[in-house]
Amino acid sequence: MATIIDVPEEKVLHVNNFEFTYASSETPNIKKLSMPIAKNCVTALIGPSGCGKTTLLRSFNRMHDLYPGNTYEGEVLFEGRNILDAKEDLIQLRTKIGMIFQKPTAFPMSIFDNVAYGLRLQGIKNKSELGDRVEKALKDAAIWNEAKDRLKHDANGLSGGQQQRLCIARAIAVEPEVLLFDEPTSALDPISTQGIEMLVSELKERVSIIIVTHNMQQAARVSDYTGFMYLGELIELGETEELFVTPKEKLTEEYITGKFG
Amino acid sequence: MTYRNKRIIMNNIIMTLSTISAFIGLGFLFWILGVLVFNGIEALNLAIFINEGAPPGYEQSGLKHALVGQLLIVLYATAIGVPLGVMAGTYLSEYGQGSKLAETIRDISDIMMSAPSIVIGAFVYAIIVIPMGHFSGYAGAAALAIIMIPIILRTTDDMLQLVPSTLREAAFALGAPKYKVIIQVVYRGAKAGVLTGILLGIARVAGETAPLLFTSFNDNFMNTDMSEAMASLTVTMYNYATSPYEDWQRLGWAAAFILSMFILGLNIIGRLFLLRKRGK
Ligand SMILES: Nc1ncnc2c1ncn2[C@@H]1O[C@H](COP(=O)(O)OP(=O)(O)OP(=O)(O)O)[C@@H](O)[C@H]1O
Ligand SMILES: [Mg+2]
Repeated sequence: MATIIDVPEEKVLHVNNFEFTYASSETPNIKKLSMPIAKNCVTALIGPSGCGKTTLLRSFNRMHDLYPGNTYEGEVLFEGRNILDAKEDLIQLRTKIGMIFQKPTAFPMSIFDNVAYGLRLQGIKNKSELGDRVEKALKDAAIWNEAKDRLKHDANGLSGGQQQRLCIARAIAVEPEVLLFDEPTSALDPISTQGIEMLVSELKERVSIIIVTHNMQQAARVSDYTGFMYLGELIELGETEELFVTPKEKLTEEYITGKFG
Repeated sequence: MTYRNKRIIMNNIIMTLSTISAFIGLGFLFWILGVLVFNGIEALNLAIFINEGAPPGYEQSGLKHALVGQLLIVLYATAIGVPLGVMAGTYLSEYGQGSKLAETIRDISDIMMSAPSIVIGAFVYAIIVIPMGHFSGYAGAAALAIIMIPIILRTTDDMLQLVPSTLREAAFALGAPKYKVIIQVVYRGAKAGVLTGILLGIARVAGETAPLLFTSFNDNFMNTDMSEAMASLTVTMYNYATSPYEDWQRLGWAAAFILSMFILGLNIIGRLFLLRKRGK
């Protein structure tokens, strides 16, 4: 059995009996999963490798649709509709639910063009508006000081940590409702990691955040709620402090005390 | 003799043999280049670029007709071959993941790449020259384009696949439609490699003679009408070099030199693109 609390906050996403199966898989990779995602909070997903954290996260912006044959089942409610619906406008959805990947994914273009990418996709052409919004995004992602003198330079000249913050700037420039982070610091050094963690804590004022992490200290530091997944199921969702101090489920306790994983 | 001594002797023999072989290979290369440069530069003068072909013994003979014909044929071949090759390569890499059709196209294109160019010349002869009733620059360009397409298709396919899929996903995650992801992100990431493939493809066809013999044939005079037979450096070189006249033979050397420098230039530029890319 699973222990899944209800959150007192407004819910930005609501997952109901969600199932996901990869094209090459016989059985569902995510099984009958239900959970609320609280608005303007950070929800962390933890669990051993292969338990389905990435798979779940990538369902929220329908990333799996890029590859043929994957199937969704159940509901993910967002703004009052089920985003798993075949009629869902994926382009619209992805501008509202942004994603940050494990490795920085700076496009092979200038720093400015990277951040302006999503804005231009939305049809913003006005130079001064673009300039303002790029500046604001870079400031919000705490990389303005390092980037302001080389906006025209190739983004690949930045360090890994700077590139990751650039990607965050690019994602928040389009003002999404939700940001999905998949192990955003696993390729970064401790200082850059700290920078990203601080950023995540600040950003939740404006966006709701779901972050997958292997690092339990990180989950404890940045998140309000934590979900523990195991073999494609959500075993426990609770307030972060409670989940780490007094887990309700035996599996959760075994995992956070390092008995497996 | 100890085992160790045996090993050292063996090592020395192999090293000597391979060094000698390398020098023999290099020796031939420099011999060819040396003869080419020596004879080519000697035959080179401004008049060659101003005058058209002329009968042997004639003072004012040149290669202008062949230069212009060569450029036109290669230009048209490039205009046909590059878009087709790049688009087909894009299909294979971006749309045909895991599809049977894409695999089949890849295999056929690999076979085409190793087809003797004379066969392609004969093919174009059958489908364009015979129905038209005469040789033409278009037929020559078509033959070269057919040779060029599989080369460009393959390099484009390979180079696009080198672009990490996370980069594509990141663009999709910002709400980009597929064609914009390809044009704005994937092409950009693979730019140097694709350009190199294009340059190497052009360099490859620029040196072809056999397929042109069947298609654009030759013309001793200046002609810019692609629907007529047309001179090219390669065919001119072939004709002049095998002629018994000394002044024609000298023009043949000049043609060989100009062509080689052109192809060498394309190759060097292509490699520089790749180097610059790697240096980053
Ligand atoms: N493209 C795919 N096709 C088929 N099965 C997949 C695919 N990607 C992942 N899986 C399987 O789905 C399950 C969940 O994988 P997922 O990547 O979501 O795990 P994860 O919790 O993110 O693990 P990690 O912590 O190692 O990143 C695993 O059993 C994995 O083998
Ligand atoms: Mg993962």
